[in-house]
Amino acid sequence: MTNWTLFAPELFMLAAAGLFFVLSLSRPQPARDYAVARVAAAVGLSLTAWAVGAEGVLFAGTYRVDLFSQVFKVLITTGFFLVICLCAELSGVADKRHSEFYLLLAVCTLALMLLTSCVHLLAIYLALELSSYSLYILVCLRRGREKGLESGLKYFIIGACASALMLFGFALLYGTGLSLHLADLARELPGRIHEPVVLIGFVLGLSGFLFKIAAFPFHFWAPEVYEAAPNQAAAYIATVSKAGGIAVLMRITAAAGAGGDQLVGFLMVVSVASMTLGNLAAIAQQDLKRLLAFSSVAHAGYVMIAILSFNAMGLSSGVFYALSLLVMKLTCFMIVIQVSSGGSNIKINDLAGLHIRAPVLAAALMLALFGLAGIPPTIGFTAKLLVFTAAVESGYLWLVIVAMINVVISLYYYLQVLKAAYFLEPKESAPPVRVPASLNFLALVLIFLTVAAGIYPRPFIAAAQAMTFGIIG
Amino acid sequence: MSVYSIFFYLIAALMILSTALAVTRKNMVHAVLFLVISFLASALLFFLLGAPLLGILEVVIYAGAIMVLFLFVVMMIRIRATEGSGFLLWHYLGAGGLSALYVAACLLLVRHSGPGTGAPMPAAVAAPADFGLYLFERHWLGIEIVSLLLLVALIGVLHLGLSPAGQRSGKGGPY
Repeated sequence: MTNWTLFAPELFMLAAAGLFFVLSLSRPQPARDYAVARVAAAVGLSLTAWAVGAEGVLFAGTYRVDLFSQVFKVLITTGFFLVICLCAELSGVADKRHSEFYLLLAVCTLALMLLTSCVHLLAIYLALELSSYSLYILVCLRRGREKGLESGLKYFIIGACASALMLFGFALLYGTGLSLHLADLARELPGRIHEPVVLIGFVLGLSGFLFKIAAFPFHFWAPEVYEAAPNQAAAYIATVSKAGGIAVLMRITAAAGAGGDQLVGFLMVVSVASMTLGNLAAIAQQDLKRLLAFSSVAHAGYVMIAILSFNAMGLSSGVFYALSLLVMKLTCFMIVIQVSSGGSNIKINDLAGLHIRAPVLAAALMLALFGLAGIPPTIGFTAKLLVFTAAVESGYLWLVIVAMINVVISLYYYLQVLKAAYFLEPKESAPPVRVPASLNFLALVLIFLTVAAGIYPRPFIAAAQAMTFGIIG
Repeated sequence: MSVYSIFFYLIAALMILSTALAVTRKNMVHAVLFLVISFLASALLFFLLGAPLLGILEVVIYAGAIMVLFLFVVMMIRIRATEGSGFLLWHYLGAGGLSALYVAACLLLVRHSGPGTGAPMPAAVAAPADFGLYLFERHWLGIEIVSLLLLVALIGVLHLGLSPAGQRSGKGGPY
């Protein structure tokens, strides 16, 4: 008998999607849609938080509800809620498309929640596709179709290629007689990972998840998509979708046991290429969203370090890194959304004088950028410290050195943004930044999280360790 | 040569021929029809190999649904046959090189495989009823996800298919 209470958060998200579907059939009313979305996201978040301790197996063993999946679901719904909070002025999307926008966000959130819990490769693939398809369309929803359409198509084609490679990899794994169920795979895979077919199958099977977190060689879509998507959708892709991708990537690579030399070698190439390419390309960017996109690519590289360490420390540091990325990237996008007028894109120089125009936002931006660059005492510093410790524990000192060089490179462009916000004089024509009190409060909460988790990360680390213990089961 | 092998070579030749015709036709409708024949031939191959369910699925889904959809699209947007091939010399060289590599790999494989070198593959025959039961008992979560996926795809198609003029009736966007 299926215990439906385990599935309650997902069911609620499905119901929310259904509600938006009904709303999309009626006369468009952006204010009503926004209010409904906020309530739905808040209820979804509290329901997920309530179900955080749930454990069990559903759907003939293909769906595993455990602490790991539940905490990631809380992260995902938190991100969803915060992104919805930033949708008060959804001017990047035509008014009559708002209910579809929320519908797709809800479906994507549902898909990411499913993704964290699925333990059968078939279900994982389908959930991944569902989340990707929602995002392709979200990108296309940008007002002024051509730009959004072109990037949406590019996103779609790269995603379809990654999916094809991933399915081919799964087929190879299946063809060698391996089970597609993660628990069985975790038993059989470590002994056979040295066989060429199994290795190639597994590596190809990872490509879909590398696409999801925008790691090399599937990173091409990131800058264009971030630039062309509605700002809120870009925020969602940069935060929530990343958290889901990291979760599933960690669960799947954990099935490979200690990894094996070739697999670790491949992941190292991915990691080094992602962070180097991302950081070097970010230096040249003027558009703030493009800069954040390349910084996402670089951060995907750092996440790969945590994953390729293949030890307990690596797993828990990966979770912590996902949390830190969620907090820091959301803060950055909050500033992007508030500073841009009419849902347009902003250049770095548009931030000029932000500390006068919106002091709280400027402070939040400063801390988030410090965090992304890995400067103490922020959450980003602690996350990087944990990841690098995990890598050193596995004996990859040189990888840490490469990553440190990358961190120094990244400092340059993060400080460029900060310089614009704090030291440039605002232009006379710069539109005022209107910050509602609720957003100021949100910014303060994010600042508090960034600093608190940086200074006193112990409870978070303990939670991450508890989550990743027995990740495969 | 048994009667099965004769059938096999006949069907294989039909498949290669129709696929070759499909990629070389200038008229899109003809190309799609030849592709349908190629799919039917591969369905026959599945029958020959003792997988009737797979064969029927191939006919219903590929030859039936997808290709008919293609046919509709081609007929609706009326692509006219283009002059010239539209490919440059290096396109041909690249494609030819890759194909040569592929053929070489296949020949090598054939050379090194003979009686006694292959690993026996267990025959897996599933009756449609068993297959359906297995699918809906073990993977019905996946099927539900697919249904949602179709809904999302439908929304996307509706959005993309709406006329751009209707989109721009609002105030000017950022672009």
